[in-house]
Amino acid sequence: MATAKMRVSYSISAFVVLFTLLNVGKCDEQVPLMLWTSEGISLPSQSPPPAGHIVGQDQLDAYLHEALTAGPRNVLLFLQDKMSIEDFTIYGGAFGNKQDSSFPNLEGALLSSPSPLVLPAVSWPASNAVIGELQDQLETSPLYMDAETLSQLRLNASSPALLVFRLPYGTGADLMSAREILSGNDEVIGQVLSIMKTQSVPYVAIYTALRPSQEAAAALSLEAGVGGGRSLLQSRGSHKERERERERQRKVKEKAGIYGPVEFKERDTTCILLWATSLSVSILRGGHWEDHDLTPSTFGEGVSPKLHGSVCDQTKARLVLNYEDVLGHRNFKLIFAMSQRHYQVSARRWFTMDAVELEYDGTKATFNGSRNIYAPAEYSYRCDSVTSFRWPALFPRSSKDPANQWRVSFEDFQIQGFNVTGSDFSYASDCAGFFTPGIWMGLMTSLLMVLVLTYGLHMIMQLRTMDRFDDPKGPAISVPQTE
Amino acid sequence: MLLEWMMNGHAILYTGVTVAFWTTILIVGICYTIFDLGFRFDVAWFLTETSPFMWANLGIGLAISLSVVGAAWGIYITGSSIIGGGVKAPRIKTKNLVSIIFCEAVAIYGIIMAIVISNMAENFSGTTPETIGARNYQAGYSMFGAGLTVGFSNLFCGICVGIVGSGAALADAQNASLFVKILIVEIFGSAIGLFGVIVAILQVNNTDNLDLVNSCSKNIT
Repeated sequence: MATAKMRVSYSISAFVVLFTLLNVGKCDEQVPLMLWTSEGISLPSQSPPPAGHIVGQDQLDAYLHEALTAGPRNVLLFLQDKMSIEDFTIYGGAFGNKQDSSFPNLEGALLSSPSPLVLPAVSWPASNAVIGELQDQLETSPLYMDAETLSQLRLNASSPALLVFRLPYGTGADLMSAREILSGNDEVIGQVLSIMKTQSVPYVAIYTALRPSQEAAAALSLEAGVGGGRSLLQSRGSHKERERERERQRKVKEKAGIYGPVEFKERDTTCILLWATSLSVSILRGGHWEDHDLTPSTFGEGVSPKLHGSVCDQTKARLVLNYEDVLGHRNFKLIFAMSQRHYQVSARRWFTMDAVELEYDGTKATFNGSRNIYAPAEYSYRCDSVTSFRWPALFPRSSKDPANQWRVSFEDFQIQGFNVTGSDFSYASDCAGFFTPGIWMGLMTSLLMVLVLTYGLHMIMQLRTMDRFDDPKGPAISVPQTE
Repeated sequence: MLLEWMMNGHAILYTGVTVAFWTTILIVGICYTIFDLGFRFDVAWFLTETSPFMWANLGIGLAISLSVVGAAWGIYITGSSIIGGGVKAPRIKTKNLVSIIFCEAVAIYGIIMAIVISNMAENFSGTTPETIGARNYQAGYSMFGAGLTVGFSNLFCGICVGIVGSGAALADAQNASLFVKILIVEIFGSAIGLFGVIVAILQVNNTDNLDLVNSCSKNIT
């Protein structure tokens, strides 16, 4: 009994030991380290470590020793709380989106330095000890500074100095604030480097961290698509993960100025989708047109237009956008009325935009859109310009309709009222075909002319000289010149 | 023998063009079908979007041009025979001018119809099918149809009269009593051109809108 208990406890302790050992050797416990010198100072070139190699304490000491004996004795150490190589992957604009990079100053410094050294993986006990190591090598104590105190300090090229700049890192797992923090840190680096440049003191700069940022590593697995092309390599997770990914993608797109469509949901399934780059209405008052742009109240991040009164069923779809205070009317509604049915001749279901209505103060201005705005029921309709005055696609219902006083203009307009799957548009049937009517007319007429030409050419080509009375052996014809 | 026929320049050209044309049509059609874009092939859109003026003027143009082709063809056939026969029998030339006149009549039918049809075409205001109105479309199509009718009937009438006239001239050169009998055949041939003219006038008259007046006053519903 006692031996059994001992055996159990022995195995448990062995397991715990193994677990901790394995934990210590976990693969995301590295911190990158970047080292560069000021312009004009070049160190003897050191071979960077092979890919995937984790630089240990001794090797890091060797690198630092090499750099500090040959180079300047002023060291700027930018020590961030946490850093991982994934931070640079996610926020460094590594996938063709350089404009989103959070490290412009760092990149500039590394590129302009004559001898930069990038160690992508330094084991973090070693990076933790980098202050101590530098202290030993320079034989001077570190000075903790920030950008303001640096500008007051006068540095000497001959005497060694170790200036440490502590940079924060986010505590929460909120990705957006991590980007901002890293951008802020990069700005601090930029300020410090520019101050050093004005003082024209040669220096060696090191950018590293005390600990790896595990949030970045964990977040990356859920983070498909945000500035990271990892989405392509990411293995398909569960449905929930995919939902979360899509949510994040949408948030980022909204921040970037791209917005999603207006969705009308009936019982939690999206029924009507509408998107446009511009929705505007104008009224004719006192001989001139007064415009009002409805786009900011309809589209954009954080904008949710009121859709009361919208209805959606199998054959009819009605999207009602409610606005307040438009052109002096307190309650203004923009209504899109669509219907779909089966058409026998084409043996297909089509949907048409029956009317675009403007309702205000009890008056209803109706534009008829069924002539031009139609598409097969499975697809969405998209048109570059849907207006009632410029190559109009919308016409006032009658000559006495109040719509004659109004103008509407939708730019880059896309709408779908039926057969919506998910919350994306189906294939967009564009209002612009391949050939315009004018091109067709020209082609038809030209074809007719070509046929006529061909026939005439054929006739001419089969004319032959009469050779019935030719006599090759007879005398040649002589045409006398004179009478 | 097929190879010999193939070696003919004309045959190569025509087969080449035809094959290219039909291949293009076939490939475009297949692509549209595969991508479920068959709905884009919209004949109604073509007919309502193309201007009725194009159809009307094509009709007018075809009326006169096809008639003239028929007349010219007939005249050159008859003319060559008369001139040829007249070498040996000069007496035929005056009498056989009648055949030439029958051919010429065909061209006259054509130009009369062209003038009649073009007089019926007037301006209309309207940019969309609704505002243009069904009557204007009908006008356009009727004029096109009338032009085709008179053009093609006159074309074949002219050829017919020409060949008969040529035979008449040569027969006349041989035997003067034959000419009057053959003239009856020519008259029958000429009648078919007249049929074409009558039908074309009926087509164009049936449309009482032929004025293509502005239909702005119509209520657009």
